[in-house]
Amino acid sequence: MIKLNNIYKYFFADTPNEVVALNNINLNIKEGDFVTVIGSNGAGKSTLLKAIAGVEMVDQGIIELAGKDVTSQPEHKRAREIGRIDQDPMASTASDMTIEENLAMAYMRGRRRGLLRAVTGGRTKRFKEVVADVGLGLENRLQVPVGTLSGGQRQALALVMATIAQPKLLLLDEHTAALDPKAAKQIMEITRKIVDTKKLTTLMITHNMEQAIKFGTRLIMMHRGEIILDINQQEKEKLTVPQLIEKFTNTSGTTFDDDRVLLAN
Amino acid sequence: MENVIINGLQQGLIYGFMALGVLLTFRILGFPDLTVEGTFPLGAAVAATAVVKGIDPTIAVLLGAASGGVAGAATGLMHTRLKVNNILAGILTASAIYTVMLRVMGRPNTPLLAYDSFFTKAMGLFGLNESQMSLFEMQVATISILFIMVLAARLLLGWFLKTDMGLTIRATGSNEKMIRALGVNTENTKLLTLVIANTLVGLSGALACQNQGFADVGMGFGVLVAAIASVIVGEMLFGGRSLSMLLTGVVLGSILYRSLLALGLRLNLPAEDFKMVTALLVLLALTLPNLKLGKANSKKKTSMLGSLTRSLGAEKQ
Repeated sequence: MIKLNNIYKYFFADTPNEVVALNNINLNIKEGDFVTVIGSNGAGKSTLLKAIAGVEMVDQGIIELAGKDVTSQPEHKRAREIGRIDQDPMASTASDMTIEENLAMAYMRGRRRGLLRAVTGGRTKRFKEVVADVGLGLENRLQVPVGTLSGGQRQALALVMATIAQPKLLLLDEHTAALDPKAAKQIMEITRKIVDTKKLTTLMITHNMEQAIKFGTRLIMMHRGEIILDINQQEKEKLTVPQLIEKFTNTSGTTFDDDRVLLAN
Repeated sequence: MENVIINGLQQGLIYGFMALGVLLTFRILGFPDLTVEGTFPLGAAVAATAVVKGIDPTIAVLLGAASGGVAGAATGLMHTRLKVNNILAGILTASAIYTVMLRVMGRPNTPLLAYDSFFTKAMGLFGLNESQMSLFEMQVATISILFIMVLAARLLLGWFLKTDMGLTIRATGSNEKMIRALGVNTENTKLLTLVIANTLVGLSGALACQNQGFADVGMGFGVLVAAIASVIVGEMLFGGRSLSMLLTGVVLGSILYRSLLALGLRLNLPAEDFKMVTALLVLLALTLPNLKLGKANSKKKTSMLGSLTRSLGAEKQ
């Protein structure tokens, strides 16, 4: 579904502060794969997702989405096939607009946006169904501005919005990181449910090792812009957090230094 | 008093188109578009020249509106394609328009008293004859025509902003990253909004010249601040809770603002001070939330004027 070939991304290129954010990344994700991405701060996880989404243009290499070279496509063109959620609950929804208006905009992903009324009876019925599926009671509040929702509710709505138009790829960048533990757990369950029922190819960054092991069909670990571990489903099922940390230490030659990852549970 | 009301309604409705345009860019898109200072007299200059050249005044007014749209496109293209800062792009266009107006009119102003106006033509459509009407009847007829037009513009805009395309404009103002991630080219959204808004401003200018009987290169001076004042008055008094309220409120705000100016003139207040007073009122309205005069009050004001202050850079840090 998505293929990365020899991807390089530099920040502050040709200056003394040059950083290699992505260092020869090669990744081939099959249709229906749910890949969890883990790594220490500055490992290049977010940059990887941004490169795939077209938010950041890569300096070298080729990105293929569903067999098509999208390396030079701008973000808004790739977004027709890619749903994406950021860790900031404010980022993935428009707070001044109502829930149904937000859903209507997401519903039109990849289609021509013309002069038809955005919120119609037929659409509202559909929105109610998909929102009811996440089980937060939002289906009765469709006319409420999104700004009045809690962080968890906004991320749940963002999940629905990212997936309502059946994207080819779903990118989740620590989408539960800014939530309290209870809401985070809820959102992860909703994520699992949506990804399963819609059979979405998914790439999810998490800072939670347990989450990374528990969810998904494949786990990759990044360090200093490289993929240093790539664990398949069978192997992942037997994996424990201490083993994962040990694997990291052995492969990278450094100890895992992100407290957030180590302390998360 | 009668004159104050008539003047307020006439001017308020004419400038109502402009207030709607300014609402669209400043408030809804969050784009401080300074083009309008040039677009307004441009619409007047083009309409006036067209009338002098023998073109039907209705078509002349439409040409004036269209010229505004072109000016908006110029600013939009400068900003989205050439990446010029939004304020500077507007100033560049407004400045260039000055030359365009002088070239179009061939001189700094064009009197139209010898020609049929758009309004007398429109009255003719309803079977009214200018020569058989008193001044008062003429004024009422003018106001009625303007009212129908503003109402149409208000309804059209309200409908448009609830379509799939309209939603992308509002979302670009609310959360540009988010709507881009949903597959929308926000550069095009901005361009489109600038064209629509400046078409409205051009129409406003064209109607103003038809109403006052002349076009002048200097007639755009200060119209932007006045329009912002109308938007603020409308939003504060008639509420910014919903989009419909906002659109209607801004037109009412324009009428109220122009009525106040007419009243000021009537009371023989010094007209030369009006622009200063307006500027100070706008400044006060924008900074009031930051002055911390009672917490609850300030919170309410921030939410009402939030987007406007955001686009004007006066937001609390």
